[in-house]
Amino acid sequence: MSEAFYITAKNLAEKGYNGIPSELKSSEHLIYSSPATLAFNSPGAKGFGVKRAGLAVPNSVMLLVAPGCCGRNTALLNDLGYNERFFYLMLDDTDIVTGRHLTKIPKAVKELCGELDYTPSAVMICITCVDALLGTDMERVCRKCEETAGVPAVPCYMYALIREKRLPPMAAVRRAVYSLLKPQKRVSNECNIMGFFSPLDDGCEIYPLLKSAGIKQVRELSRCADFEEYSRLSRANFNLVLNAESRYAAQEMEKSLGIPSVELTRMYQLDKIGNQYRLLGQAIGVVFDDEEYRSAAEKAVRDFREKYGSLNFAVGENLNADSFELSLALLRYGFNVGEIYGTVTERNFIFVKKIAELSPDTKIFSNLSPTMLFYEDSGDIDAVIGSDAAYYHPNTAGVHFNEETQPFGYRGVVLLFEKLDKAILENTVI
Amino acid sequence: MKKLLKYISPLAPDISGAVGVLYELGGLVVICDAGGCAGNVCGFDEPRWENFQRIKSRRSALFSAGLRDMDAILGRDDRLVQKLSNAAEQIKAEFAAVIGTPVPAVIATDYKALKRMSEKKASLPCITVDTTGTNLYDKGEEKAYLEIFRTFATEDFPTVKNKVGVIGATPLNISEISAENVIFKLKNQGFEPVCFGMGSGLDEVKKASECERILVISPSGIKAAQYLNERFGISFETGFPCIPEKVAAQACGIEHKNVLIVHQQFAANALRERLCGCNVQCASWFEMNPDNMRKGDFHIADEENFRERVSAGNYDVIIGDISLRRALSNYKGEFIDFPHFAVSGRLNT
Repeated sequence: MSEAFYITAKNLAEKGYNGIPSELKSSEHLIYSSPATLAFNSPGAKGFGVKRAGLAVPNSVMLLVAPGCCGRNTALLNDLGYNERFFYLMLDDTDIVTGRHLTKIPKAVKELCGELDYTPSAVMICITCVDALLGTDMERVCRKCEETAGVPAVPCYMYALIREKRLPPMAAVRRAVYSLLKPQKRVSNECNIMGFFSPLDDGCEIYPLLKSAGIKQVRELSRCADFEEYSRLSRANFNLVLNAESRYAAQEMEKSLGIPSVELTRMYQLDKIGNQYRLLGQAIGVVFDDEEYRSAAEKAVRDFREKYGSLNFAVGENLNADSFELSLALLRYGFNVGEIYGTVTERNFIFVKKIAELSPDTKIFSNLSPTMLFYEDSGDIDAVIGSDAAYYHPNTAGVHFNEETQPFGYRGVVLLFEKLDKAILENTVI
Repeated sequence: MKKLLKYISPLAPDISGAVGVLYELGGLVVICDAGGCAGNVCGFDEPRWENFQRIKSRRSALFSAGLRDMDAILGRDDRLVQKLSNAAEQIKAEFAAVIGTPVPAVIATDYKALKRMSEKKASLPCITVDTTGTNLYDKGEEKAYLEIFRTFATEDFPTVKNKVGVIGATPLNISEISAENVIFKLKNQGFEPVCFGMGSGLDEVKKASECERILVISPSGIKAAQYLNERFGISFETGFPCIPEKVAAQACGIEHKNVLIVHQQFAANALRERLCGCNVQCASWFEMNPDNMRKGDFHIADEENFRERVSAGNYDVIIGDISLRRALSNYKGEFIDFPHFAVSGRLNT
């Protein structure tokens, strides 16, 4: 074989979820970490991996306890100002064989705290595959650290070995960053937005919609400037979960703090967005008037469509969207989607089936397949969405759409088409 | 505390060293990990990845094994071999290589068995490098160089006049993305150089016996050079022909000072030769070959040791990667930046 493996949406839908070809299942082949995929396949390398995410607690520092190889690329975060918040306890072969590193950790925590000219809010202790295999009880080690150093210590499990399990690393770290919250009297007109390590776009309609429902204070972890503000997250009446990876953290908050949660999904189909707001309104006992925001999003789509016609898109998965849901939205808006680079899961297979009905010939690739070494730009894509799609089509205009500020709801749709318009006008990728 | 890094980031690990040696040799290279180690290599330690993967003819078939917990717990090497075999059917490769990480180290993977199983199933020569992630890049380079020469440089070819084989040319050692600079310098001296694994493929490794001599530009290449010497009688010498011009120019201006150079040993030694009338000590975070050490040279055991040695050394000038400066808050002397990719991930500018 000397070409990248793909399957058409029609063929994939016909095979069904249980018939997904092995080339599209990452557990059945070697993993190609091409430059297109690094950010999500190995999030330590770019974006928010466990290490950076663990430092979402204001004023915290992190001690990475691991062989040197696990912390090597953390230097990339230095440019973002993290170099004074990371410390490393390097494991050698004897540590791993004897487990003696576990007794060193409390001493290391004490020493690093002594080195700082402030008292950190917490020391996040990040451990990796080695301790996963050793079965280390890091909760116990953290309690010892607290006794020794007088500072809260929280385990962060960077266990890549279990990334497809019930509690993968990025879900576990979401639980970790909320674990320092203490119960307090809840305030009925306050809520939290959970899901991301960076804030929603300031223009997102979710803020005024919640305000219209009487919510006076909406908090997000990433907007907490200090630990005091972080501590107020436990006053919320409810949590709004916008990313399924935060579901477990929200469940834990319900158990420990009594805060219930409502889950929404990021979507780009306007009717689905409206439907979600309607259901959210039912859950909290209000009726949202989202007409203004819906109209703005409809206009953004319509204007773009009139201006550029039915462009042929390539949609990747290194972006702030589900590749298949976004592709379906584009198809429903009257565009074409020639290629999708994505990971087919049980959850998004429903979109694959709908895509197959609208665009049976859409080609579906797996970014992680070794055959992507042979991918060649077919030249028939008009615009790209996603950093991976931009990598595969270096001469095509489009948007990375993976900025840290998170798009959501109608505002997400508006942002997408505004950016696409700018990118195509300037014939570039932004 | 020993092994606690408070100011600098971890240095390049042995996994990256091994991959760096094999990167351009046309093999199907599998990092035996869950994904994070491959991410470190591809996203940080292998600067050729971002550039060369965009060029079809220069793409490297480097993959992660994508191990999961049950693969490790149950020792399912057969699944890895199957994946490797499937990839070998899709990708034309001259050999396969399996690079170790902490996971196989913890579960004590039998690399010999893995090699035999892979060769049988994929019908390809296979090498394994038992890196663990706890050692530094030079160890991985040393193992990989030795393994490829032992495996592929087995045939005696007639000696080619003036042909010099360079061992140790990797981005981690020379902080360059290509060997052009090394080649240029050696050609100017009248040689016909070949840098094994950088700008040349497996054919040159197979024809290593054609070399009139070997130039080893990093201590990580010494064992491979010794192998070639024992196997084919090729003599070797050490050196480093590619000191960055900017660093050399700054160093030449230093006279009669107490100087510490921190780099890989052969680069540091080469720069020492450029300094006039100075008392120079060379130090390295990486292995130092005793035969190339002078009195006062030292190996840096860890960050604490580095701070202590600098404090005790009373140096006027330190030449090393600027990222190390952060560990020396009490040092008041001059610091000249000599980038070392294996330390900071920075290339020469």
